Amino acid sequence: MKWFLRLGPVMVLLVVVVFYLSLGANDRVAQPIAYNHKIHIESAGLTCTDCHSSVQSSSAASIPNLEMCSTCHSEQPISESAEELKLIEFVHQGTSIPWQRVYHVPDHVFFSHRRHVVIARLECTTCHGNVDEFTEPVAAQFLPITMDNCMECHRENNVTNDCLSCHR
Amino acid sequence: MPKWAMVIDLDKCTGCGACSVACKMENNVPIVDPEEAQHGRALFWMDMVTTFEGELPDTQVKHFPKPCFHCDDPPCTVVCPVGATYRNPEGIVAQIYHRCIGCRYCMAACPFTAKYFNWYEPQWLDEAHGIGNPDVSRRMTGVVEKCSFCSHRLQQIKEAADLEGRPIREEEYIPACMESCPADAIVFGDIANRDSRVSRLSRSYRVFRYGEDLGVKPKVYYLARRTGT
Repeated sequence: MKWFLRLGPVMVLLVVVVFYLSLGANDRVAQPIAYNHKIHIESAGLTCTDCHSSVQSSSAASIPNLEMCSTCHSEQPISESAEELKLIEFVHQGTSIPWQRVYHVPDHVFFSHRRHVVIARLECTTCHGNVDEFTEPVAAQFLPITMDNCMECHRENNVTNDCLSCHR
Repeated sequence: MPKWAMVIDLDKCTGCGACSVACKMENNVPIVDPEEAQHGRALFWMDMVTTFEGELPDTQVKHFPKPCFHCDDPPCTVVCPVGATYRNPEGIVAQIYHRCIGCRYCMAACPFTAKYFNWYEPQWLDEAHGIGNPDVSRRMTGVVEKCSFCSHRLQQIKEAADLEGRPIREEEYIPACMESCPADAIVFGDIANRDSRVSRLSRSYRVFRYGEDLGVKPKVYYLARRTGT
């Protein structure tokens, strides 16, 4: 019985560790194509707003549709990448790419990209990290979307933290 | 800082209930079937109260629309144990649903029964294909909800005004009830601006407020020539 009691705390610790590891594993999202931001920004010379065009004009940031991708990737692959072949397959089939959403804003929160980008002049990197260095597809949130993070930034920048300015 | 208030002209109101319906659709307010409503579980952020006065056959029917009065000294915010309801600097008494624990103290404290307990997940009419207004959150079961003066519209209007670097124009911020009223009986605006329509009407000789004697200072004013209560 005594050896069992001695193992008790270790078992509890093990369960807690496994629980947190499983939480971390769930946070990562698998994308259908291993999109390489770095190549597109450095070699193709694209900027964030070329593809995510609605950040300056509406609340939601858009992801590019197939038409946008097919302006460069249509018939012949322009690289050696196997991922590009996957994209061309999508273009040929005409089915949209099932990108998995990484940044979720709950429905009781009003968040506007336009307000943060155009009025507050925030850089994309503030919340999304150095995407121009990403060689892997976006799989996890750079700045977790939590009320703490929002309020801290608002406090630092002397922006209102009135509940109704964001909650609805 | 603006202070939002509403004036309802009862001499113009026909009691058609368009404000009540528009409010339900705008704010994803659950639609309750008649049996459940009999148990007092119906929710109306904008209620159409009907009163009957006098004996038959000389009965007089009166209607008045009743939203939350967004009191300047609200009793509901004082009793909330978790800070889920508060009066914001612009005078809107807000309800933060994800903070609400559903204790219903605020419902007991409100002298105007303007707060409702949400017994249901939100439902929509078949024609709506299960899609509500995406600008308003869908409240979960077990929280208290109420009229918000359509504050979600204010969020968008503020953004549009900030983009152009100008203050909000009075005619921009219109709640759904005012928008739908065919008789133009509902007027909404900034009462702190003495030149605004709502401010001028609030100084009318016909004006009265419910619960004036309670000292809660409601910001919904009624206009009526016919009676003072």
